[in-house]
Amino acid sequence: MDVVIKAAILAAISIPVLCQDGATISSKSAAIPRMSDGHPDLQGIWTSASVVPLERPANLKGKEFFTEKEAAENEKRVLGMSSWERLGSQAPEHYNMSQYGLDLSQAKVASTLRTSLIVGPDGRIPALTDEAKKRNAERTARNRGHQFDGPENRPLQERCLLYYSEGPPMLPSAYNSNLQIVQDPGHVAILQEMIHSARIIPTDGSPHLVNSIRQWMGDSRGHWEGDTFVVDTTNFSDKTAFFGSTARLHLVERFTRVDSETIVYEFTAEDPETWTHPWTAQIRLVRIEGPIFEFACHEGNQGVANTLSGARAMEKAAQEAAKKTSK
Amino acid sequence: MTVVAVMWLHWSPVVAQSTMYKAPRTPDGKPNLDGIWQALNTANWNIQGHAAAAGPMPQLGALGAVPPGLGVVEGDDLPYLPEAAAKKKQNSANRLTLDPEVKCYLPGVPRATYMPYPFQIVQSEDTVLFAYQYAGAVRTVNMKKAPPAPIDGWMGWSNGHWEGDTLVIDVTGLNDKTWFDRAGNFHSDALHVVERYTPRSPETLSYEALIEDPKVFSRPWKMSMILYRHEEPNAQLLEFKCVEFVEELMYGPLRKKPGG
Repeated sequence: MDVVIKAAILAAISIPVLCQDGATISSKSAAIPRMSDGHPDLQGIWTSASVVPLERPANLKGKEFFTEKEAAENEKRVLGMSSWERLGSQAPEHYNMSQYGLDLSQAKVASTLRTSLIVGPDGRIPALTDEAKKRNAERTARNRGHQFDGPENRPLQERCLLYYSEGPPMLPSAYNSNLQIVQDPGHVAILQEMIHSARIIPTDGSPHLVNSIRQWMGDSRGHWEGDTFVVDTTNFSDKTAFFGSTARLHLVERFTRVDSETIVYEFTAEDPETWTHPWTAQIRLVRIEGPIFEFACHEGNQGVANTLSGARAMEKAAQEAAKKTSK
Repeated sequence: MTVVAVMWLHWSPVVAQSTMYKAPRTPDGKPNLDGIWQALNTANWNIQGHAAAAGPMPQLGALGAVPPGLGVVEGDDLPYLPEAAAKKKQNSANRLTLDPEVKCYLPGVPRATYMPYPFQIVQSEDTVLFAYQYAGAVRTVNMKKAPPAPIDGWMGWSNGHWEGDTLVIDVTGLNDKTWFDRAGNFHSDALHVVERYTPRSPETLSYEALIEDPKVFSRPWKMSMILYRHEEPNAQLLEFKCVEFVEELMYGPLRKKPGG
């Protein structure tokens, strides 16, 4: 009985969501599905595919929103590019996604007036702190000339450890920006297709993990603020390095189902050791049919072995060439 | 008749209690299987009964030894076809290099269930999510529709339904790259698994997996075991992204040599 009453009360309240999409969006409560406990039902298969980049392009400096006409033109332009052009790659043989049905033009894409996923007047990741600049410079210097020495010199994605888009926070990827949400009264679970990580977020008010436990994907705890699901994540490992962040990275994500087809997903990233101020991005998740496929990244990984053996072969060839010259 | 009676006695604890226990319900009236579960047996070392033995790496001493176990296979007999029996022997002899677990590969079904790591069930009306700590393996079970497997994969394709208080999962689309255990017991891509999860007390589930694989076994066979709930108030799945721990093993020989 309590549950029914609570659901009725919640259904009667239309909670405005600070959406920053040119207007305040209210989740029209009647229109969104709800769980038996009255909370919005976030379940389904979703895509975060986007025609808008994370950071605002220089030519749109100072312009946070397109007009509707401009947004339509931008969408047409971006979807008209080939997969490899969009990635800025000269290698169509590697990145011709359309043959697999993975190209952005073959995905469902949310329409938006935003010119960048990052909100605010700058639309860019804030300036690095001096400490972060120093750290990054040291890291780059350490790896310079050693990029092919061993597996730990390779990027996390190539090693199938963590995709930059996997999150938290979640970002659109060049392809497969698909995720599934499964919800029960005590948890919201987010399954990212890339690379098959399930983040099970408890909503029971339990505290974060002890400080000594650090994880690639941190430790997430959720609660409801009206109709918005708010997730607080800490306990990151310093190896996660989200855009250069440290283990002090603190994330707050907000999920608001605004209608049957859309979740507005927003995250704020804060790390005083990395950025001069916190920054926020907003992404629209749209519902898709699915299914989510298994992305067995490590099991199919030829990249690390091929890259390293290629490097060893080149070194050997260079040594032999040097011997010949010295003879 | 005697054989049947003995087997019944042997397997009855799992079955008998489940008929007496009525599990708490989800809002849609189904038994609530939510929780963090783990097998407390040694099936991951060998699904058949086995005495304790030295492990394949003597330098690990007792750390690497094989703990003994009663086995989880009904009747303890695995009906391998002759060629498959030979392959199982080879697998076993070369398990240190061939066992997919060594390389942190996805464990497949049913092995994921009884690896020495917990797994979590998040149960919803349309979808039941199984998240395994080991390698971050995950599978979703379709409860509303039962579409055929679109492609083979490591964790297969799961369609579920309720038979009374039992969650029955039909698993197809499994590839031939996973094993049943560290002893080299294996299957082909013709593997078909029917799993049955039945609440038997607030703290336990009975688990059964019917294994069918006509390329490897002469008849279907069954394994069964009890799964235990993690009752620690702060229980949660922690990350076990083991890829990082196998890089030296897999890629070490390709490293740049000092001075090279």
